[in-house]
Amino acid sequence: MMQVEAYVIMDDSIRAIALKYLLNEYFGVKAVVASRLESELIADKSASIIYVVSPDVVVFNHDFFVTKRQRTIVVAATPNDDSMAITPDMDEEAIVNVLNRAIESLCNEENKTQQASLTQREIDVLRLIALGHINKEIADMLSISFNTVLTHRKNISAKLGIKSASGLGFYAIMNGYISEEDIRSLKTE
Amino acid sequence: MALVNIHSKLCDVLNASPEIIPLLNRLGISLGTGDKDVENICQEHNIDADFLLAIINTFINDEYFPESVLKKFCASTIVSYLRQTYAFYEHYQLANIERHFSALISRSGENNNLGLMKRFFDELKQDIVERIAADSREWFPCIEAIERGERVLHRCAPNEETSIHDKINDLKNMFIIHLSGSYDQNLCYAVITAIITLEKDIRQNDRIRNRILLPLYKSMA
Repeated sequence: MMQVEAYVIMDDSIRAIALKYLLNEYFGVKAVVASRLESELIADKSASIIYVVSPDVVVFNHDFFVTKRQRTIVVAATPNDDSMAITPDMDEEAIVNVLNRAIESLCNEENKTQQASLTQREIDVLRLIALGHINKEIADMLSISFNTVLTHRKNISAKLGIKSASGLGFYAIMNGYISEEDIRSLKTE
Repeated sequence: MALVNIHSKLCDVLNASPEIIPLLNRLGISLGTGDKDVENICQEHNIDADFLLAIINTFINDEYFPESVLKKFCASTIVSYLRQTYAFYEHYQLANIERHFSALISRSGENNNLGLMKRFFDELKQDIVERIAADSREWFPCIEAIERGERVLHRCAPNEETSIHDKINDLKNMFIIHLSGSYDQNLCYAVITAIITLEKDIRQNDRIRNRILLPLYKSMA
């Protein structure tokens, strides 16, 4: 399961806080309230963020939102036909449905790209992590860039639910990717 | 979850959120609360009611973190709370996981994975014990000395890394996602519950340690 986050960006803090709690209560999504689109948000390239915004925020940051239409929910002042809009005439159930659509489409996209089992390259990286090598060494040994190692590590952790190097080490032994002999011979070198 | 206030009856709070029982225990409050409210209990145990409320509410509500309220307490109040918390981790919670874990291994036959997972737990335990030792022997005395107005020549730098959180989560996932072979289900549930309790405890108390005590310490003249 991917970690979805939400940004609720609007001046009306009462509405913003209400939406933040709806997102948290029904979807377990961690939502952050802001009054405008901060620069660090613009820099964030993560695809697992949904935006709940007032119309003026979209107008002022048109370039930013044009590529994120599928995961942007506009809180409009008047009822309209947009399926991704929340309007004042809606009841709680209808609002929850709009939020649910946005979150579901996000998760579907993610599931398509994510497979449960490790690729051969990820196994190579996992093995080297388990043997105690740091990212820089792994990059040199596999002749790949440092950033590629980071990407592999991120994917490995997402698939296995294990993040720490020593946790990955134990996982590798448990699944026969390395043997305890390998580690022992490494220590005596 | 509704915020607890000074007139909340402790029995109602405990019925709704039994996970704070260990937290009250280590402050010296035992079960059998009768119909006393938070104010009565605090008077009886000589505890600052505002502090207890801040701690309980922080603990019950993941989203609630009254930074400005917590920053009003003096550093030594927070230090003494964290000392009690650490003693509880060491003597009860870690020991509890260990006991259940050993029983689980001995009752699960030839499950090789459990032995390895126990070794991972031992490593995690070592990390926690080391951080507790560093805080209690160096950092806390340093804070208390500064608060007493003593001149402290060597300011120690507390450990700020969060690898402990990652490792607890990893251990939990080794059970939930990766456990294989046969095992005793009841004992396994006992181990997981104990790990989850410790995880929550450490997460909440680290918020207090890292977001309240640490900035307070750094701002101390």
